[in-house]
Amino acid sequence: MSLLELKNISKIYGELKALDNVSVHVDQGEWVAIMGPSGSGKSTMMNIIGCMDKPSLGEVLLDGVDISKESSRALTNIRRDKIGLIFQQFHMVNYLTAVENIMVSQYYHSMPDEKEALEALERVGLRDRAHHLPSQLSGGEQQRVCVARALINHPELILADEPTGNLDETNENIVLNLFSQLHKEGTTLIVVTHDPEVAEAAQRTIVLEHGRVAREVINEGFIEGRQYV
Amino acid sequence: MTKRKMFLRMITASLLRRRSRMLIALLSIAIGATILSGLVTIYYDVPRQMEAQFRNYGANMILVSADDQPLTGENVEAALSLIPAEKVIGATPYRYVNAQMVRSQLSFVAAGTDFDQVKATSPYFVVEGEYPSGVRQVLLGKEVAETIGAKLNSVIEITYKPTAVLSEAGGELNPGATLAGSAEGFNQNLVYVTLTLGDDLTIASLEVDASLQTPEYGGQCAEEFFTSRFLGKALPLTFGEDVDGVSGATITSEAVVNAINNAQVTENATALTGATLSMQVTGILDTGGKEEGYIFMSQEDMAALTGERDRYDVMELSVSAGAEELASYVDQINAMEAGVTPRLVKRITNSETAVLGKLQALVFLVTAVVLVLTMICVSTTMMAVVTERRREIGLRKALGASDGSIRTEFLGEGMFLGLLGGVLGTALGFAFAQVVSVNVFGSSITFQPLLLPVTILVSMVISALSCLLPIRQAVAIDPALVLKGE
Repeated sequence: MSLLELKNISKIYGELKALDNVSVHVDQGEWVAIMGPSGSGKSTMMNIIGCMDKPSLGEVLLDGVDISKESSRALTNIRRDKIGLIFQQFHMVNYLTAVENIMVSQYYHSMPDEKEALEALERVGLRDRAHHLPSQLSGGEQQRVCVARALINHPELILADEPTGNLDETNENIVLNLFSQLHKEGTTLIVVTHDPEVAEAAQRTIVLEHGRVAREVINEGFIEGRQYV
Repeated sequence: MTKRKMFLRMITASLLRRRSRMLIALLSIAIGATILSGLVTIYYDVPRQMEAQFRNYGANMILVSADDQPLTGENVEAALSLIPAEKVIGATPYRYVNAQMVRSQLSFVAAGTDFDQVKATSPYFVVEGEYPSGVRQVLLGKEVAETIGAKLNSVIEITYKPTAVLSEAGGELNPGATLAGSAEGFNQNLVYVTLTLGDDLTIASLEVDASLQTPEYGGQCAEEFFTSRFLGKALPLTFGEDVDGVSGATITSEAVVNAINNAQVTENATALTGATLSMQVTGILDTGGKEEGYIFMSQEDMAALTGERDRYDVMELSVSAGAEELASYVDQINAMEAGVTPRLVKRITNSETAVLGKLQALVFLVTAVVLVLTMICVSTTMMAVVTERRREIGLRKALGASDGSIRTEFLGEGMFLGLLGGVLGTALGFAFAQVVSVNVFGSSITFQPLLLPVTILVSMVISALSCLLPIRQAVAIDPALVLKGE
C-alpha cells in the first residue's frame, strides 16, 4: 500500500522546470533514498514531500489525500501531524536544552510531555545529555536529538535531508543504525542524500537528473536490521 | 506539562539564555518606563511643589463683606475654619480708612493690618527700614513718603474724621441722651467712654473701654468699682474733686474723666469719634503697586485712630491650593452665608493655572517623545532579533508552528520584556523623580502605588506595539529555508 504518491508533478519557475513530470511512489514502511547532483530537483521534491511547497502541476497523495491543492495553513497541519523532519544542519533551537527541543515539537503537535521526550532521548542514547544546550553537544549528538525530535509525534513518514552530510563516520553509522531500527519497526523513511553509502542503506534509490527521474535502483544488498560499525 | 508552561519555558529561556540582544531591548524599555514613571510622578507632584513657589506672588483669595455686613473677627474666623489650617500660609486683615496728615492736610488711605501676616501673604513687599513692631509706628508707602517728605524715623501726625456725621452731635444734654468720648490715657493710648444721662442730667450709666491701657493698672478703670463712682454725678467733672482716681492708674483715671468731659451726644451707643495720633515711620514700602500710596499701621493703632475695633474691609488669604481646590473653598464659604464673600485673585490663580498647564504639557510631550523613541528602539532590536533567529523561526514552522503560534511567541517575548522593563522602570523612575524633586524643588516626593501597574501596562503595550512589525517579518519566513542547508 503506498503512503506517498507523486503523480506527474512538475514545478516550474518561469522558464526553469525544477521538476518535470515526475512520478514517484513510496510504500508504507518502505525505506527510500533520493539521490542526484545539485540542481537535479532534489530540494524541490523534498519541499513538496515535506508539505513546504506545492507542485505547479500534478497530484501529491499522502496517505491517500491529495495535498497538492491545500492551503499553506493546511499544509502546516499535515506536516505537523504526519511528517518528521531531519536536516543536514541539525537545526536545534540554540537556547533550549536537548529535551526542550524535543518538547517544542510536542508543543506544536499536541501537548509537551517531558517524560516521553526523555524516553525518546533514551532511545537515541542521549538520556544523560538531556539538559545540555546544543552548544554543549557534538554534531553527532545534535543529529541524534533531531532524530528523537522527528520521532516524538509518531509520524507516518520521516523525511531526512542529507542527515549525515555534516557527520563523521562514527556518527554517520549511529544515525544509520537508528534508521535501520526505525525501518525495522515499520516507519517509512525517505532519505535525500549525496552519499552512495547512505543511499545503499535504503531498500530503493531514486536517482534524479535535470528534474526527471533518471532511474530507480532496487538495493539488492539491503539487509533488514543491519548494524553499521 | 501544559502548553502554557512550555510557552513560558520557551519565552524565559529565550530571554535568559540569549542575553545580549534581549538586554538591549530590555534596557530601552526600562529607560522608556523610567522616563514615563519619573515624569508622571513629577507631573502629579509638580502642582503640589509649585503651590509653595507660587505663594510668593501674594494672596490668591480675598474675603470681603457681604450684604453690607461688616467683616468681623467672628465671621472671618468662621470662613477660615473651612480651609484646612495647614493650607493657609497667611491670612492678613486690612481695614482701610481715609486719613489726613495734620500738617499738610493731604489725604491718604490708611490701612490697619497685622504685619506678621503681611510678611506671609505679600512676600514681595520690599521694606526700607523695618516693619512696625509696636504702637504708634507706621509703614509708609514710598509715594506717601515722597509726597509729604517723610523719612525713616520721622514722626507724622495723622488724624481721622469719621465720615458718618453724628446727628445732633454736640447737641444739648437731654435726659436719656447717650454720649461717647475718648481721651488719651497712659502712653498716649486712648480710653473710650460711653455714658447715658438720667432724668436729672446726671450720669445714669457708664461704660469704660480701657483695653488699650496696661491691663493690671489702667485696665481696672473699666471695672465697676471705678465706674460706679461716677453715677449720679453731673457734668462736667473735675478729677480729684468729683471723682478720685484708681491708685496706680492715675493717668487712665484722669483720661476717663477727660473722655467724659469731651463726650458728645450720639444717637446710638457706638462711639464714632475721631482721633489724632503721632506716629513714627519705621519703614518705607516699595512694591511698584498701589500699596505705595498707603499708610500701613497695626490694627491697634487703627483702632485708636477710628475708635472701632474688630472691623475689617478685606482679608487677604494666601492658600496653598490649586485653582480647583480654591474654587471649592469659595463655594463652601459662600454656602455658609456668614456675611463673608470670598473672591479669587484671578491674576494669581490664572497665571498659576497657566504655568502649571504649560509645565504639564511639556512633561506630557517629553513622555510621548520618549515613548515613541522607545518604540523605535525596541522595534529595531526586535527586527534584528527576528533576522538573527530566521533559522529558528523557519525550524519552528517546519516543525508545525502555525503563523498564530509564531505571533504569540514573539508577542509573548515582547510583553515579557515589557513587564520586566516596567518593573525596572517604575523603580528607576521613582529614584529619578526623587532626584529631580530634591534638586529642583528641595523636597522629596511620595510614591504613587498606582504608578506600578500603570507603568507596567504601558510598557507592555508599547513593547507589544513595537513587536508588530518584527512579527510580520517573522511570520513571512519560509519554513523551507531550513532544508536548504543554509
